[in-house]
Amino acid sequence: MSFVPGQPVTAVVERIEIQKLRQGENLILGFSIGGGIDQDPGQNPFSEDKSDKGIYVTRISPKGPADLAGLKIGDKIMQVNGWDMTMVTHDQAHKKLTKKKEDVVRLLVTRKSLEEAVKQSKGSYPKH
Amino acid sequence: MEDYDVRSAASILASVKEQEARFEQLTRALEEERRNVNLQLERANLPPNPPTSQPLPWQQVVMQEQSPSNATSLAMMQEPQEVVEETVTIEEDPGTPTSHVSVVTSDDGTTRRTETKGISANVKVTKMVKTVTTRTVRQVPLGPDGLPLPEGTSPLGSYTDSIDRRYLKNGSDRFITPQATSTLTRSYNNSYNDSYGETPESQYIRHYGLHDGYADLTDNYGSLSRGVNYRPPRYPYMPNSYRPENSYTLPIRKDDYGHVAQPQVPMGSSTVDLNRSQPERFQPEPYGLEDDRRSLGPEEEEPYELEPDYSTANRRTLPGANRGRTHREPLRDGPRVRGYPDDPIEAELIDERHPYIHGMYSAPLAQPERGSMASLDRMGGRRSPSIDSIRKDPRWRDPDLPEVIAMLGHPIDPVKSNAAAYLQHLCYENDKIKKDVRQLKGIPVLVGLLDHPKSEVHRKACGALRNISYGKDNDNKVAIKNCDGIPALIRLLRKTNDMEVRELITGTLWNLSSYEPLKMVIINHGLQTLTNEVIIPHSGWEHEPNEDSKPRDAEWTTVFKNTSGCLRNVSSDGAEARRRLRECEGLVDALLHALQSAVGKKDMDNKSVENCVCIMRNLSYHVHKEVPGAEKYQDPSALQAPGSAGPQRKKKDDAGCFGGKKAKEEWFNQGRKNCENDKSYDTLDLPKRTEPSKGFELLYQPEVVRLYLSLLTESQNYNTLEAAAGALQNLSAGQWTWSSYIRATVRKEKGLPILVELLRSDSDKVVRAVAIALRNLSIDRRNKDLIGSYAMRDLVSNLPSGQQRPAKNLEEDTVVAILNTIHEIVTDSSENARSLIQAQAIEKLVAINRTSQSARETKAASHVLQTVWSYKELRNALTKDGWNKSHFQPTVTATPKATKNGKPGYDDTTLPLMEKNQDGYSTIDQRDKDCKYKTGDGSVDLTEREPLKNDTNRKHYIRSNRPAVSLVDACDVKPQPVDSWV
Repeated sequence: MSFVPGQPVTAVVERIEIQKLRQGENLILGFSIGGGIDQDPGQNPFSEDKSDKGIYVTRISPKGPADLAGLKIGDKIMQVNGWDMTMVTHDQAHKKLTKKKEDVVRLLVTRKSLEEAVKQSKGSYPKH
Repeated sequence: MEDYDVRSAASILASVKEQEARFEQLTRALEEERRNVNLQLERANLPPNPPTSQPLPWQQVVMQEQSPSNATSLAMMQEPQEVVEETVTIEEDPGTPTSHVSVVTSDDGTTRRTETKGISANVKVTKMVKTVTTRTVRQVPLGPDGLPLPEGTSPLGSYTDSIDRRYLKNGSDRFITPQATSTLTRSYNNSYNDSYGETPESQYIRHYGLHDGYADLTDNYGSLSRGVNYRPPRYPYMPNSYRPENSYTLPIRKDDYGHVAQPQVPMGSSTVDLNRSQPERFQPEPYGLEDDRRSLGPEEEEPYELEPDYSTANRRTLPGANRGRTHREPLRDGPRVRGYPDDPIEAELIDERHPYIHGMYSAPLAQPERGSMASLDRMGGRRSPSIDSIRKDPRWRDPDLPEVIAMLGHPIDPVKSNAAAYLQHLCYENDKIKKDVRQLKGIPVLVGLLDHPKSEVHRKACGALRNISYGKDNDNKVAIKNCDGIPALIRLLRKTNDMEVRELITGTLWNLSSYEPLKMVIINHGLQTLTNEVIIPHSGWEHEPNEDSKPRDAEWTTVFKNTSGCLRNVSSDGAEARRRLRECEGLVDALLHALQSAVGKKDMDNKSVENCVCIMRNLSYHVHKEVPGAEKYQDPSALQAPGSAGPQRKKKDDAGCFGGKKAKEEWFNQGRKNCENDKSYDTLDLPKRTEPSKGFELLYQPEVVRLYLSLLTESQNYNTLEAAAGALQNLSAGQWTWSSYIRATVRKEKGLPILVELLRSDSDKVVRAVAIALRNLSIDRRNKDLIGSYAMRDLVSNLPSGQQRPAKNLEEDTVVAILNTIHEIVTDSSENARSLIQAQAIEKLVAINRTSQSARETKAASHVLQTVWSYKELRNALTKDGWNKSHFQPTVTATPKATKNGKPGYDDTTLPLMEKNQDGYSTIDQRDKDCKYKTGDGSVDLTEREPLKNDTNRKHYIRSNRPAVSLVDACDVKPQPVDSWV
């Protein structure tokens, strides 16, 4: 699901709340992101549309907070705590995710399987 | 089915070339009669019915000999208006002192001529020629289903014709020369009429010359499709002789041309069917060749590797058509099955035929295709609709295995080839049958057939051998070797120009090469031939490049892939094998050229490239020890007594400054204590070359670094990545001058960031190869500093522990390799040890040291910890973080004997003993084993590993060079995707 600037984004999204894990001084979410408007979208293996410059989940630590919260590799992050993530640089996304003062991040993510599930159930939208 | 006849006719005709003139006469005389030919007459001919349950709509004459000793082959020529069939039976000695020729003209418009030549009781040649004239073509109107007759000038005609033509052309071209492409294409475009513009004879003759009995196959196909198309219309509209002829097929014929059965398939007039008409295509399917081929190299994504080789129009269409066996069979059988119930005549014919089936010696073979199907079914294999139809006839029987093997020795060539083809089919993915064939002594017979002059025979034999040689049962491979199959294959390779045969040969060799004991045999018999016949020509490399001609690119043909796979396997057979390959004239040059061409074309994800890189890696192993004249280049410092390792190394590291200290490099050098004491390598030039290096020297010239780095940057194939990293690892090991240059060149070519980036690869083995390469590279002091500063985080992130456990679950070997690399980097460098601490590695190391299940991991981690603790200047920081001495001590009884310098002992298996003056790291050895393992079972097991493949081809998204950028002197690397943990 690519984002066309200026066009409304329609996506089936899932809300995922991740409780950060404190490890020493660091707060850990337990996943990694790729993408961003400053990155080469062509190298993103997860996007369907290779011009999609969105932020994608590239790795998940097993049993880490993100894993436990249900985040999946390949998820596209639409929002972080309400902040749009579809038109940000990689570093901006990184900053939003790693704010030291926040112990919880709320993500809006979309993934292919969600879209398909919705398509199949014909109009019955998942929560949210 | 007409196709069959045509083919056989063509082939036979060829052999009877000299008699064609006479036939023409006969044909003319029969012109009138032929018009009068009607159904009934034809029916009268039916007696020699085909064993097949299906009525065949072709015009053919069947000659059969009742006695098993007599071999009969039918040749049929088909013209739109006339059909000439010829059957020639040849017994052992074709030398013919006497000959009797009898010509019989029958009511149905068939002329038969029988020629018997006898020398002795045993030597006897019987030729029977039958000329059938029919007026079929023009008369056939559109069929009930709207299909026009293919033969006539009807709309379909052009279609069918082009098929025939193409087929013929194809056949002839293919046999004449591998580069038949242009002709093929041309013929493809020809219209029906055009194709018949040539006299049939001429066409047939041509075929003859090319491939005797087997030409028939080709021809038959073309005609087959035609026949098929006819069928529907024929019954209703054609009461004339045409039909009857078609309906009965000689049993013998079928025997000889078992595959012909396929022609029945092309009922539909789709492209698929057209493709069918191709002999090559066609055969693979029924016999499982294709699939088996695929099994050769797991990587074949494309079902049909053949295609690239023959850029023929036909070929290209094939993939779709051939793709699934299942897909095909329905096509084939569909029409037939349908036909039966509707067609009373056909049913009748079938009934009549049955009696004949039994009398035939070769009956089982007669319907090879069906037979094979049926047998498959019996064996619990796949079944197809056709089987069912076959089974309706209880009297039909497939030959059993001993019979088939016996037929390999049948005096008549088509029987041999059919038997071999049938064997190939039976053996496909059936280990039991392979074993049975071996135990029934079928393998020596097949090997013997490799030297058979007729292409069809040695081709089929080779196909059977390839299937037999595939799989885990090494006894089959040994059996082939024991009857001198390897020299026979090589001989055939030298002899044949037929691409398909070459593919089969090299495929078989690839299979054989996966078994260790056979590797040296292959090298002894085939190395130079394989190089000269395949590797060099296909690589595009030329001994003496022509000034005018552009350098040629490599062609990734199946033959090249198979051959490189074979060499890849044999290259892992130890020092002697490596020596032989290195010294094989032109091999290294050609491989390098091929790889360079791959890089140039950005086409480096294919299997051929993978094979080439693997060979290069294997040949690079221990070059510094094994290459002739290597002593000259030994680094003198390396020859010093052990114990002086420390200082030595520093000296060496300075060598890393090779290339001059540029300002930027200077930046990295600040504070390097040893920077002063170096006589820098700037002054040491590369060994003088009076002439361009060639042969094995190319393996270790610094120029190859760029090649490997390009592969590491561009390739998506994990195996290629691993091999390229492994090559750098091998080259950067050792204490000779060249390895110093290699190490420095990697840095200068900005290779370090590339390698560091690959530490994030999802592939375990890539990470491992890269880690070990980095370790060898860090023998160069400057490299060590750079790697310590910028690779540490990535190295550490690959270590397991806690929440940050990497998503990829790395194998023990990999973890140990990383730990050893870290150890190497922090040794003699407190700077790097500090980086290690900053990378939060201590926690992981302690965790591994304490809790890892693996003794080797534990040991390696404890070595690192001890080394870190040995830097007194760091202890302050460490204690501040809450660590104390106990964390840095070996937990278990692992007792690494800490040596002087506080250097811990090494884990022998993975750690190099620099002190021993060895060129390097024993890791390399291990790596080599690793290679062997991989390449060894590679060819065979590749298939089994198929699943991995996908993985391999996955894109590396997870590459980032953010930290790595600074590793290079000039940080001009273009931005790549960043991937960051949060």
